[in-house]
Amino acid sequence: MLSYFLRRLILVLPVAFGVSVVCFALVQIAPGDPLTAIMPVDATAEQQAAMRAAYGLDKPLPVQYLIWIGNLLQGEMGRSIASGRPVADEVFGAVGNSLLLAAAAAVIAFPIGTFLGFLAGYFRDTILDRLITALSITGVSVPNYWLGIVLVIIFSVNLGWLPSMGAGPGGSQDWQWDWAHMRHLVLPAVTLAVVPIGIVARTVRALAGDILSMDFVTALYAKGLSRGDVLRHVARNAAATALSVMGLQLGYLLGGSILIETVFNWPGSGFLLSNAIFQRDLPLLQGTILILAMFFVGMNLIVDVAQAAIDPRIKRS
Amino acid sequence: MLHLRKGLAALALSVAMLGAQGAAAQGTLRIGMTASDIPLTTGQTDQGGEGLRFIGYTVYDALINWDLTSADQPSVLVPGLATEWAVDAEDKTKWVFTLRDGVTFHDGSTFNAENVVWNLDKLLDEGSEQYDPRQSAQGKSRIPAIAGYRAIDDLTLEITTTEPDATLPYQLAWIMMSSKANWEAQDKDWEKVAQHPSGTGPWKLETFVPRERAELVPFAEYWDDTRVPKLDKLVLIPLPESNARSAALMSGQVDWIEAPAPDTIPAMQGNGFVISSNAYPHNWTWHLSRVEGSPWNDIRVRKAANLAIDREAMGALLGGLMIPAEGFVPPGSQWFGEPDFKPTYDLEAAQALMTEAGFGPDNRLKVKALISPSGSGQMLPLPMNEYIQQSLAQAWIDVEFMVVEWNQMINLWRAGAADPSVEGSQSINFTYFIQDPFTGFIRHLDCDLVAPNGTNWGHYCDDEMKDLFEEIKTTFDPAAQDEVLRRTHEKFVDDALFLMVTHDVAPRAMSPKVQGFVQPQNWYLNFSSITMAE
Amino acid sequence: MAQTETAIAATAHRGYWSAVLSRLRRDKVAMTCLVILGLLVGSAVFAPWLGLADPYQGSMIARLKPPGAPGYPLGTDEQGRDMLARLIYGGRLTLFIGLMPVVMAFFIGGALGVVAGYVGGITNTIIMRVVDVFFAFPSVLLAIAISGALGAGIVNSLVSLTIVFIPPVTRVAEAVTSGVRQLDYIDAARASGASALTVIRVHVIGNVLSPVFVYATSLTSVCMILAAGLSFLGIGVRPPEPEWGLMLNTLRSAIYVNPWLAALPGVMIFATSLCLNLLSDGLRSAMNVRD
Repeated sequence: MLSYFLRRLILVLPVAFGVSVVCFALVQIAPGDPLTAIMPVDATAEQQAAMRAAYGLDKPLPVQYLIWIGNLLQGEMGRSIASGRPVADEVFGAVGNSLLLAAAAAVIAFPIGTFLGFLAGYFRDTILDRLITALSITGVSVPNYWLGIVLVIIFSVNLGWLPSMGAGPGGSQDWQWDWAHMRHLVLPAVTLAVVPIGIVARTVRALAGDILSMDFVTALYAKGLSRGDVLRHVARNAAATALSVMGLQLGYLLGGSILIETVFNWPGSGFLLSNAIFQRDLPLLQGTILILAMFFVGMNLIVDVAQAAIDPRIKRS
Repeated sequence: MLHLRKGLAALALSVAMLGAQGAAAQGTLRIGMTASDIPLTTGQTDQGGEGLRFIGYTVYDALINWDLTSADQPSVLVPGLATEWAVDAEDKTKWVFTLRDGVTFHDGSTFNAENVVWNLDKLLDEGSEQYDPRQSAQGKSRIPAIAGYRAIDDLTLEITTTEPDATLPYQLAWIMMSSKANWEAQDKDWEKVAQHPSGTGPWKLETFVPRERAELVPFAEYWDDTRVPKLDKLVLIPLPESNARSAALMSGQVDWIEAPAPDTIPAMQGNGFVISSNAYPHNWTWHLSRVEGSPWNDIRVRKAANLAIDREAMGALLGGLMIPAEGFVPPGSQWFGEPDFKPTYDLEAAQALMTEAGFGPDNRLKVKALISPSGSGQMLPLPMNEYIQQSLAQAWIDVEFMVVEWNQMINLWRAGAADPSVEGSQSINFTYFIQDPFTGFIRHLDCDLVAPNGTNWGHYCDDEMKDLFEEIKTTFDPAAQDEVLRRTHEKFVDDALFLMVTHDVAPRAMSPKVQGFVQPQNWYLNFSSITMAE
Repeated sequence: MAQTETAIAATAHRGYWSAVLSRLRRDKVAMTCLVILGLLVGSAVFAPWLGLADPYQGSMIARLKPPGAPGYPLGTDEQGRDMLARLIYGGRLTLFIGLMPVVMAFFIGGALGVVAGYVGGITNTIIMRVVDVFFAFPSVLLAIAISGALGAGIVNSLVSLTIVFIPPVTRVAEAVTSGVRQLDYIDAARASGASALTVIRVHVIGNVLSPVFVYATSLTSVCMILAAGLSFLGIGVRPPEPEWGLMLNTLRSAIYVNPWLAALPGVMIFATSLCLNLLSDGLRSAMNVRD
C-alpha cells in the first residue's frame, strides 16, 4: 500500500511542474498591459514605466518564471495588481469559502445522487428507473448559472425566504454554523448540486445495474442469501468506482463554481477569479488557478489511493 | 406525527426569529457599491470616483473639500482642513494656507502643517520613508502644479507651484490626509494601516474584509458638528454585477445600491423603492479627432452631427435617467455660460449644414468611431452608440464602429488619435469626470497635453483656446475665474468641439427607510445627514 | 477501461453500422432529439432564407416586448431586436462554439491517442504526460483560465474549449488503442507484412472509432453549456453578436420586466443540451458501448 502511494506521489511531481508552467504561460498569452486597469487613466509614460519595473514586468520571460517559481516555493505568490494585497492571502481565504460551498453542495448531491442511482439500478427498466434517469439527465443538461438566476428571483426577490448574495450577514470572516449564516449557503449550494446529483445518480445506476446482472449475484441468490445481503455485496463492489467519481466531482465543484459564485456574489475562488479576469489582475488569476489546479491534483491522488485501498485489484493494474 | 408537527412549528418560529435578527438594527445603512473591491483605505483611494465617494470623503478630509450639502446648487469648494488660502500678491507661484485648529485624527493625534508635508511626501517624494507607490499612483497625477511645500508654523503651510496656477485649490481637493502617528503605530507598514486606517473624516473605518465589506462608524469628535453622522453604522459591500445588486436590494440585504440597471427601475419603484438622482459633473461624449484628414475638422460636420441626435428619445433607453446634453458641462453648471450654438435635435438644420459641407444622400460621409461594450461610468454604451449610429445616418453620416474592451480602450485613449493602434478611428466614446477646471476643460484640449504625452486625445490645438486656458490658470479671484471658465465653455459649445450627447444623473436606488439623504451635484456624497426609519 | 472490451466485441464489420442505425431508429427518445437538433441546426444554417427580421437591427421604442406581441412572435430584447430572429441566428454561433471544439478535440485528441497507444514507449510517455498536466485542471476552470487570459472573442473561445476537451478524448483513444494493439489479429496483420499505417487505418481505427466517437458525443452537452457560460461571464462571444449565453447575460436585468423573455435563451441552451445528452445515450446503447 505504502509503495503504491509513493509511486503515485512521484508521478504527481512532473504533473505539478507542468501545471506551474501552464499557469505561468497563462499570463504570457494574455494580450494588453496588465497594469492598465490600476493606473489612473491619465498616468504619464514615466509613471507607467516605474510601475512596470515595480511589478517586475520589465524582465525577460525565463527570468520572470524562475523568480516566480522561486518565490512560489517559499510560499510567496506575489501581489495582486488591483488590490496590492499578497495573492496567497487573497487566494487561501477565497478557496476556504469555495470549499465550504463545494462541501455543502457535495453533502446535498452525493447522498441524493447515490440514493436515486441505486433505486434506478435496482429497479432497472421500471417506471421508477425511467423517472430517475430522466431527472438525472435533466440535472446534467441544465445550465446551472441560469438556474441560479431563476432561484434568486423566486426565493429571494419574490418570496423573500433566502438571501440572494454573500456569505453570511457579516461577510465570510465571522462565519458561524447557525441558520442566520447557513441560509446564505442554501441557494448557491442547491444550484451547484444539480449537476453532480445527475452525474452521481447515472454512475451509481450503471454500477448497480451491471453488478446486479453479473453471475455472482445470481450465485449469491442461489446460495440462499437474503435480499439485504446481496445488496450489501453489490454496494461494496460499487463503492470503489462511485468513490472515484465523487472525488472527481468534488474537485469539479471547487473549480467549477465560478459561474455560480458570480451569480450569488459568493466570496470564493471563482468570484476572485472573475474579478481577476475583468481587472486583468494577472498575478491573482495565475495564483488562483494554480492553487485550484494543485488542489485538484491532490484530490485525484487521494481518490486513487483510496480506491486502491478499497479495491486491491486496482493496485495491480 | 404530533411531534413532527410541533417540531416543524418550532423550526418555523426559529426561522422567523432569526430572520428578524438578520434584519438591520436601527441606524445601520448598507450600501451595494459597483466596485468589485473595497477601495484602498490608506488615504489616497483607488477605484475612481467611487473610491473617494465611499472611503475618501468619509474617512478622510482634504485641505479643501467639496460642498456636498446642496441638491439644487452646483457643488463648489469649501474650507476643509485649511480654513483660508491665498496666493502671494507678488509671487504668483507661492500660496499660503491657514490650517484648521484643533482637528484630531481618529487615533487621537493632532493635525498640523507638518502632517500635510508628510502626506505630500507620501505621494511625491520617492525617497521619503512613508512614500507609498499605491497611493502615489492615485494621487501624484492630480497635483501636477505642486513644486514644493513647507510648514511655516504649526498651522501655516506654504506651497509653491512650477508656474502660476489658479487651479491649485481644485487640485488639492483630490488629496486625502492620513495620520502620521497611526502609520508609525502600525510599524510604518501601509498594509497594516490599510486594516486600521486613521483620518480626520466624519467616519472611522471599524472593520474591513477585502472584497466583501467595510464597516464605518461615526467619529464623534469630528471638527464640523453639522457633519457628525447620525447613523450607528455605514456598511459598504462591493457588488459589481448589476443584477446581483438589484436582487440584494429587493431581497432586503442592502438598503441602497449604486447605479441600478435602468430596466430594473420600474420594478423597484413598484416595490416601494426610491430612486434618487441628480445632475453632476459627468459627461458622456464622443471625443473627436482633429488630426489632419479627420472629417471632424469641418465645423459644419461637427454641428450637423450635434443637431442630428434626438437626445430626449435616447432617454427612453435609460429609463429617463439622463440629462440631454446642451453643452459640454451639464446645464445648470456654474460654468455653463451662454453659448450661441444649441445642440438640439434639428434634422433639417443638420442636413442643410451637411449639404453646405458638400455631402448629401448620395454622397455620404463615412466615419470610424471607437467604442467599448462596457466601462466605468459608460452608462449603456452599446445601445446608446447604436442609437447615435442610427441618428447620424439620417444626416448622411455613416458610422463604422471599432469595438474594443474597456482596458484596451483606456490604452487607445492614452495613445491618442494619431496613433496607429486606433486604426484611423476619428472619435472615441469616453466618459469624463469634469468636476474642476483641469479635468473639465484643460486636459482635453490643451496644446501641451497632446496625446500620448497628455490626455488631449484628438490633437486639438487652438491659439484662442490656449489663451483662455492661460487665463484660467492666472485668474486668482474665484469669481473672475468662473467668468473665464464660462467663456471657455461657450467656445467649447459654439465650436462644437465634441459630440455632446448626455450627462449621467448618478441614479441610486434605496429603501424608503433611508431618510435625510441629499444628493449633491457632485461625484462625492455626504452620508452624515442620513437616518434609517424603523 | 470498459470501452476497451466492448470495442473489441464490436469488431468493425460491414453490417455493424447498419445494425446501429436500425437500433437507433427504434429508439423513440433519441429520434425525437435527433429531429429537434436537426431543426435547430437547419434553422441556424438556413436562417438568412427564413424571412426573419434583422437580428442586429433594433428599435428603441420596441424594447422588451413580451412574447406574442404583434409583429414579434417571441418578443424583443433590450435593444428592441426581434427575439425569434436572435434566437435562431444565435443558434449559429452557440451551436458552432458548442460543437466545434468537440469535433476538433475528436480529431486531434483521437489522433494523439491512437499514436500514443499504437507506438507506445517514449512517444506514449510524452503525449500522455502532457495530457496529464491538462487533465490536472477541472474543465470549467481551464476553459475560464484560458479564455480569461486571452480575452473575449469567438476564436479565443474555440481555442480554449478545444484545449479543454483534447485531454479526455486522448485518454480514451489511448486506452482503447493500446487494448486493441495487443490483440492477436493485429499481430497477425503485422506479421503478414502490412505497414504500420495500414494496420492503424484498417484495424485500429476501425475498432477505436466507435467508443471514442460515443465518448465525444457525450462531451457535446458539457461543451455547449460551457461555451454559453463563457459568453454569459463576458469572456466568450462579444456583443452585438447573437449568442444564447450572451443573450442570457444581457437580458438578465429584464427579468423583472419580462421574466419569460429573459428565460428564453436559457431554455434554448437547456433544451439543446438535453437533446445532445439523450441522443448520446441513445447512440451509446445502439452501439452497444456500456457506461
